[in-house]
Amino acid sequence: MDARANPEGPLPPLWHYGETEHDPISTKTLGFWLYMLSDALIFAGLFAAYAVLDQNMNMADGPTAAQVVHPVAAFWQTLAVLSSVLAYSLATVALKTGNRARVLLGIVVAIVFGGLFIALEIGDFVSLFAMGATPDRSGFLSAFFVLVASHGLHMMFGILWMLVLIPQIIRSGFNTAVVTRLLNLRLFWQFQASVWVCVYVFVYLKGTMP
Amino acid sequence: MTDPHHPDPDPLLHAEVQQAGGIGYVSGYLLTVVLLGVALLLTEQKGMQPQALLIAISGLSIFLLIAQCMLFFGLDVTRYNIWKSVSLVLTVPLFILSIGLTVWMFHSLNHLMMLPEMPGMPLQPTILQ
Repeated sequence: MDARANPEGPLPPLWHYGETEHDPISTKTLGFWLYMLSDALIFAGLFAAYAVLDQNMNMADGPTAAQVVHPVAAFWQTLAVLSSVLAYSLATVALKTGNRARVLLGIVVAIVFGGLFIALEIGDFVSLFAMGATPDRSGFLSAFFVLVASHGLHMMFGILWMLVLIPQIIRSGFNTAVVTRLLNLRLFWQFQASVWVCVYVFVYLKGTMP
Repeated sequence: MTDPHHPDPDPLLHAEVQQAGGIGYVSGYLLTVVLLGVALLLTEQKGMQPQALLIAISGLSIFLLIAQCMLFFGLDVTRYNIWKSVSLVLTVPLFILSIGLTVWMFHSLNHLMMLPEMPGMPLQPTILQ
């Protein structure tokens, strides 16, 4: 598959008999997309566990969902994660023309908003711990913290990935390896926005409902 | 990485790079923020029945996920993205099965196996106390 061919042109042959050019960007992007789908299945399992444990019997007379979630405060987290995703996505728009300064600017802004998200989430967890809502308090709280913190851990690893990519861009420029990593990180980072939509709606908003 | 027989073509000209669309990313951002804000308002006003509210915010989230697939991930049926779309379509039944069947099973267990709550009865079963 030669993805550089003119999209309007004739389809490439299904296979070549001779030696053909390898397209690492297309194959690695598809591979990373398949990883992303399996990661989504991990979240599906966590959401299933949360849906089961979000029930009176599993509160163990401890805090209920309505007492641990604050959807208005969490909307700032929504803004932070979405702004970070937008900044990174716009960085990859600047990548089309190879504008190194704008790519780096977009990544730095994405790190700032991602860090803000992590800070808000840690602040939320600290205040929950202070009122006695710890993961070991009840089955419900275990599921709540594992689900929300799994998304938070993904955010932390995304930020780490950006911090690793910045020196690589400065040192080697936009070669095939660096461009592939930038594209896969865009996939990973946008996926965090999709997971947050589910976390916000099914944990934070649904949690306040009777 | 570099093959002496085939010098690397410019990676920036690759379709995966060139399909990035600023307008799509900005509209995906605005759509997500506005619709999650609408869901927040609906929930905070408490003007709807819980069942109707749950259906409304679930519908908003599913709409947002589909919009993000198109605007963020750029999924479509062109030959650069068709296999991403196909693998997602084949994975969606796994989401439905893993979440739906689990919830259904435990809901039925709770409904059929647990004693109805009586006034004055402790919430916990005796064996756990």
